[in-house]
Amino acid sequence: MAYEALDFYDIDSLLTEEEQMVRDMVRDWVEERILPNIEDACRDGVFPDEWRAEIGEMGILGAPLKGYGCPGLSYIAYGLICQELERGDSGVRSFASVQGSLAMYPIWDFGSEEQKEKYLPGMAKGDLVGCFGLTEPDYGSNPGDMITRAEDKGDYFLLNGAKMWITNGTIADLAVVWAKLEGEIRGFIVEKGDEGFSAPEMKGKHSLKASVTSELVFQDCKIPKDRMLPDVKGLRGPFSCLNNARYGISWGAVGAAQSCFNSAREYALSRIQFGHPIASFQLVQNKLSWMLREITKGQLLAYHIGKKKDDGSWIPEQISLAKMNNVDMALEIARMSRDIHGANGILDEYPVMRHMANLESVKTYEGTHDIHNLILGRHITGIQSFTREP
Amino acid sequence: MGIAVLLKQVPDTTAKIGISGGRVDESSITKWSISPYDEYALENAIKLKESGYGDVVAITCGPARAAKCLTEAAAVGVDRLIHILTESSLDSIQVQSLLSAAVKESGCDVVMCGKQAADTNSGSTGPGLASSLGFSCVGGVTGVSMDGGVASATRLGPSGMEEVEVGVPCVFTFDKGDSELRRPNVRGIMMAKKKPIDVLTPDDLGVDESYSRVSISSHSSPPKKQPGQKFVGSESVPEVVNKLREEANVI
Amino acid sequence: MRTTVISESSNGALHPVTAQLVGAASPIGGPITVICPGGVGSYDASHISGVTKVISVEGDCFETYDCLAWSKSLSPLVEGDLILSSSSAIGRELISSIAASKGIPVVQDVISLTDGFSVTRTIYSGKAIEEVVISSPCAISLRANSFESAGEGGNAEITTIDVSQEVSVAVKQALARASERLDVSEAEIIISGGRGMGNPANFSHLYEVADVLGAAVGASRAAVDTWDEIPHSMQVGQTGKTVTPNLYIAVGISGAIQHLAGMRSSKFILAINKDPEAPIFGVADYGIVSTWEDALPVLKDHLAELLSN
Repeated sequence: MAYEALDFYDIDSLLTEEEQMVRDMVRDWVEERILPNIEDACRDGVFPDEWRAEIGEMGILGAPLKGYGCPGLSYIAYGLICQELERGDSGVRSFASVQGSLAMYPIWDFGSEEQKEKYLPGMAKGDLVGCFGLTEPDYGSNPGDMITRAEDKGDYFLLNGAKMWITNGTIADLAVVWAKLEGEIRGFIVEKGDEGFSAPEMKGKHSLKASVTSELVFQDCKIPKDRMLPDVKGLRGPFSCLNNARYGISWGAVGAAQSCFNSAREYALSRIQFGHPIASFQLVQNKLSWMLREITKGQLLAYHIGKKKDDGSWIPEQISLAKMNNVDMALEIARMSRDIHGANGILDEYPVMRHMANLESVKTYEGTHDIHNLILGRHITGIQSFTREP
Repeated sequence: MGIAVLLKQVPDTTAKIGISGGRVDESSITKWSISPYDEYALENAIKLKESGYGDVVAITCGPARAAKCLTEAAAVGVDRLIHILTESSLDSIQVQSLLSAAVKESGCDVVMCGKQAADTNSGSTGPGLASSLGFSCVGGVTGVSMDGGVASATRLGPSGMEEVEVGVPCVFTFDKGDSELRRPNVRGIMMAKKKPIDVLTPDDLGVDESYSRVSISSHSSPPKKQPGQKFVGSESVPEVVNKLREEANVI
Repeated sequence: MRTTVISESSNGALHPVTAQLVGAASPIGGPITVICPGGVGSYDASHISGVTKVISVEGDCFETYDCLAWSKSLSPLVEGDLILSSSSAIGRELISSIAASKGIPVVQDVISLTDGFSVTRTIYSGKAIEEVVISSPCAISLRANSFESAGEGGNAEITTIDVSQEVSVAVKQALARASERLDVSEAEIIISGGRGMGNPANFSHLYEVADVLGAAVGASRAAVDTWDEIPHSMQVGQTGKTVTPNLYIAVGISGAIQHLAGMRSSKFILAINKDPEAPIFGVADYGIVSTWEDALPVLKDHLAELLSN
């Protein structure tokens, strides 16, 4: 296998054999199945169903969850899975993040025994696809004021509202939807065939093109009473999910950055101008050196927060730091890499502009860069600066 | 009944080979893998097991790091793992004696291995082992199936692909074929972690690992490529063709 | 020092590598016996200069190749301190089998041989060169075209021995090959065409050369994008396949960086292009400035002549 991921501080030596084998399994799969086909998938704007099936077969969905047919891997392994998937494409990694951290996780942590038995085994296999409905057209960074509401009608709930920017929505068999029941946010499992529920696909994206992005529309949507997640109220529910996804993304961004770095390095060594490879020019070396620095720092952040996830000693602000830092550096690296590739960098011969466009979404979703910045600001000062309220 | 698959751990075929002090510098090798042709043997061994021909025993001969090959094999469904542990540099007789003893111990009557290993590129082990075991040998096959006690194998013959029949016991050496190499999955990886490895030493198998009839004098890098030669006109073609043979030795 | 050479045949005649094996053994000194499986080429072998004796081994088991049967037949008749064969697929298998039955070590695909025996071979698919000393008695296979051929003029005695050995491998049937042509990712020799070929029908000239060489045919992205008839599976380059053949022949390919990414690790590169400034000449080991119309027919004919000898 030709790919050698940048690992300047030898994070590899810190991994267990099992973690290495899981990483190598995903790496090989991405090499064989994603890389030769991703440009076509992007051009056509589709997420091929075979990928869902093969990801399911590998047994990596819901990686850190234990029981109910779930893999029960370490958080480090989960991070490595995200890293390798995103080295392929952020859209592919988004499928897995949403399925595992945003759809399987809430059922696993907040669902009833019946709900866990009903959904988790199928989701772990990739036979049932899930999605996560929190964001609304007018409520993104401010989910607390969402207007999607549920009413208790005695023997069913009635949902009304709409969610937007929902990865996997159109292909999902179930959606974990957050809505206000008597003013309080609760989680509800909405199934594909439920009356009054539709999930049209959002078209016209310049980013995450090989990923399905949808709206979820609830028009007097009737769902049975047993579909509410019993064990969670308020924003704690969705935020717990988001923290898990964000953790995975901090590793995923490293994967995308590694891909852009490799491409830039190879290109710089091959491209001759003024009789020399451009890798011999100081400004190019400066850029490559910066990329190496940032990737190495990002790896250490991701690895360390992974260890803290595994021993339970983490706090959400630590995850905000990792997500924010790593996505930011990955986007910069993608741009810098494109620059090194010159005009060739705009072609889909090279992955860099695809990564660049994808990372714009990754920088915004799962908590925008600015929001994570303010989360850290609040942690440092004790003063929230999200809103103008006193 | 039973299939023995011989796996050799080699530097990954994309790894850079560094030479220091007249010897290949093993510490410079960043990745070790199962030799590529052996992977085809492994895939076919498991296929044969799935068709009902008994269990698969994976055998490797090498230093401690070679155990990784066995774990990788276990992750795709191998039943028993044997590690012949040795740090020594062995000649063909020593290697074949060790493998022969291990195959006998395993009781397998079908042996599968790659047609040549990616480090030595020799291809001596399969036929040599067959000779010392008194097994038949079919080389360069791409697939093997069993019917009763008779094996059918596809191989490249002098006039194209052909199907041959041979009885057991038999050694099959594998070429790259159309078989898709199965991937492990998480479940396989986790089960592989728990699988015990039977470790045998050359002493256990009655082979003297200290006496090797082949000793390495030195390793060196291949000569630097000559700068490109440019010729003008189709009249130069014969000269270039001759150089391809005489200088480059590629035809 | 007694040497036995296992002769190599092809198409029912002695293969020229046999004379190279004798040539390699001559400096070692001592009698050289050539043993001919199935008796093929025994007459020609007896006329190689330096050969002391020829043993022609005949029997039904030599009708088709069966490693165990051939090895069992030949092994008792093979004697000496040094046993040599060519490193062809059959040569290697046979010598491994014979060496094992005699309990002597074997080293394969050697490119130099001196008394001692000190031999050199490539390892790690050519990434390094290894020099080893192998103690006698031993078996060594030699790479073709690495040793001087012994001349003609010998007049050795031919002894015929009949053997009857059970054959264990039976050919059941010939199979049609799944695809007519070698895939670029598998081939040791690749000839690729670019947009300079003019139109896809002209790829037939590349196929003709490929047939002579047993090569695969590839294409640059430009050719694949321009012509529907040239499928993506033939594409070599950044988004096509990365190939590492022994020989890569680029015809009418300019050598854009994306194509180079796919083939620059080839062991040897021959470029044919009418533009003397084409970037491909920067990476080619041998460059011929010529139109493909002029160069390819000469290439095909000359290769055919060379390979039939």
